[in-house]
Amino acid sequence: MSKLNRRDFLKVASLIPGAIALSSLAPKIVPQGARPNVIILLFDAMSATNLSLYGYPRETTPNFKRFAERANVYHAHNSAGNFTSPGTASLLTGMYPWTHRAINMGGLIARDLLDRNLFRFFGDGYTRLAYSQNLWVNYFLTQFGVDVDTVLSPASFSSVARITGANFGDPMAYRAYDDFLFHDGKPPSSLVFGLADRLLFRREYFTESHSRADYPDGMPRAGVYPIYFELKKVFDGIFSTLETLRVERAPYISYFHLWAPHAPYRPARQFMDLFSNDNWRPEKKPEHPLSLKVAQSQLNTRRRNYDEYVANVDAEFGRLMDRLEASGALDNSYVLVTADHGEMFERGEDGHVTPLLYAPVTQVPLMISAPGQRSRLDVHAPTNSVDVLPTLLHLTGHEVPDWCEGRPLPGLGGVDDAERSTFTVEAKNNPAFAPLRMVSVAMLKGGYKLTYYKGYRGKDSFELYNMHNDPQEMVDLFASEKSVAVQLKDELLERLDQVNTRFQKS
Amino acid sequence: MAIFNRFPRAGQVAAVYAVITLVVYSWTLLWFFWEYPSWLYFLNIGEILSILAYSLANNFAESLAVLAVPVVLAVVLPGKRFREAFVARSLALVLPILGYMMYVARQFDEKLDYPSAALDLAPLVLAGALLLVFVVGRVGFVRKTLEAFADRAVVFNYLSIPVSVLAVVLVGIRVLF
Repeated sequence: MSKLNRRDFLKVASLIPGAIALSSLAPKIVPQGARPNVIILLFDAMSATNLSLYGYPRETTPNFKRFAERANVYHAHNSAGNFTSPGTASLLTGMYPWTHRAINMGGLIARDLLDRNLFRFFGDGYTRLAYSQNLWVNYFLTQFGVDVDTVLSPASFSSVARITGANFGDPMAYRAYDDFLFHDGKPPSSLVFGLADRLLFRREYFTESHSRADYPDGMPRAGVYPIYFELKKVFDGIFSTLETLRVERAPYISYFHLWAPHAPYRPARQFMDLFSNDNWRPEKKPEHPLSLKVAQSQLNTRRRNYDEYVANVDAEFGRLMDRLEASGALDNSYVLVTADHGEMFERGEDGHVTPLLYAPVTQVPLMISAPGQRSRLDVHAPTNSVDVLPTLLHLTGHEVPDWCEGRPLPGLGGVDDAERSTFTVEAKNNPAFAPLRMVSVAMLKGGYKLTYYKGYRGKDSFELYNMHNDPQEMVDLFASEKSVAVQLKDELLERLDQVNTRFQKS
Repeated sequence: MAIFNRFPRAGQVAAVYAVITLVVYSWTLLWFFWEYPSWLYFLNIGEILSILAYSLANNFAESLAVLAVPVVLAVVLPGKRFREAFVARSLALVLPILGYMMYVARQFDEKLDYPSAALDLAPLVLAGALLLVFVVGRVGFVRKTLEAFADRAVVFNYLSIPVSVLAVVLVGIRVLF
């Protein structure tokens, strides 16, 4: 903000002691010469607002809570995108979606920015391994080319899977085979081989799944891709991989992008109906004009199924952490737990394929445990997924590049700055090579959240919420708090104009 | 060797191949152009052409696999049963089956279903195709119509074969280097 009044000055000044306290509690940056491992666990579509770790009424994450006792816990962490492609790309590149341009479903990072990725910085003697059950993330990992030493196939650790692109060693093979010729979400584009593959695979799946009494609703599946998995096996595979890295190829940086708890929600038998008798119902919120207008009763059922799946994921996470602790892996590793975006069950919207940018779909968990950390640090300052890259670089003694749009996180080398502007951008229906004309942008600054919906149904709109007093985003202040609204709106529009300049025709 | 005398003539094989490619390539290209507008949002032309190269290489292999069926039958069966009127009989066998495959393929959508109802028709379709193969050899009008259709389709070979060979080479380069 251009002018600082007395009230604002006092707000900022009051944060200084807190910042000093945070830095004293924070894990120390690794001394020169020490090379800690980095383990990134990302859970697709895990919303912070559905985790008991963050105060959700249902006890969905007791193991996350247990892990939090030895980690920095970020309570106002937002993804830079509301679905996988922009959210994950921002985490891996430290840039907002309007910069890296992976803004479409299955989109790619701008070809001239591919050297700006997390793995590139760890080329100095680190083993770099990545695994994603989500093929859209695999596209990024293969885009990064030699910057990642090993990219495990999305079919790894699965019970029944068919990913043809993994056999070719060419990034476009995934797109050609698994996203087009053999794609499972529609009739196969390959009439003979594709159909034969589909029939054989489905027969194999049904034969396999009939013996799966532990998944009455069917085995978890990675969306429309033919990857069926058991959570237990996936986490066992992750542990085996980490053990191999620890013993044979340390130091390492490892990235694990797990599909769960993304839909379809398929919890194991012991987690089904976990919350069906708790009689808890979420607060009803007004239906949004841009939503799918799904009935609240249906949303409540979907939410319950999702919560059960989250509980299943949490249980396996706890088991993994126990094993890593027993093996000693946590003594010399940074462990980062987060998500690429959240999931909505309110305002008439189901899931995350939406232009909306409310907290359930943008607020994601973030916990970071340093090597040997045994205490908990809670951070309530707003942070963003673009902050992950600079934080990891800072912690491991690497220089943070100038082009990075994030900052080291508070408590891990950064400072709490409430006046900093952070963004979430949604533009899946806008061409990646053109100015943003159909876009949703949420800007958080100074405790306020301004959301701009541009290009939808011909009418642009703004919404303003005070996130301190109204975290449920129930009272739109855009018309009533005009001075704040105008300042934030001007900044947001100016930023949008700046990012669009690159694509304006001269 | 005597076995080579049992193979149909190259011109006949080319005619059957042309009709097979017409069906197999058209199916894929239909879906390709259906996806193309969305790809333009985030893929550059080179990347889209890579997908096309993989698709055409895949279609090439598929067409050869389908062609192998009537060619093997011509070699294995007595001449009067298949090799005589090879073009018409091959099309009578292949076209209903490819049509049926298109029908089965359309049964797939996002739901995890095994199209049992559609697959139950398989014996009927096969029986129908075999009946057609039998009829074709005895009804001159049907035989001549199919042969005339195949003759006209041969012109597509002048495009599909070179383009497919190029696609195979491009895929090979991408995979190997």
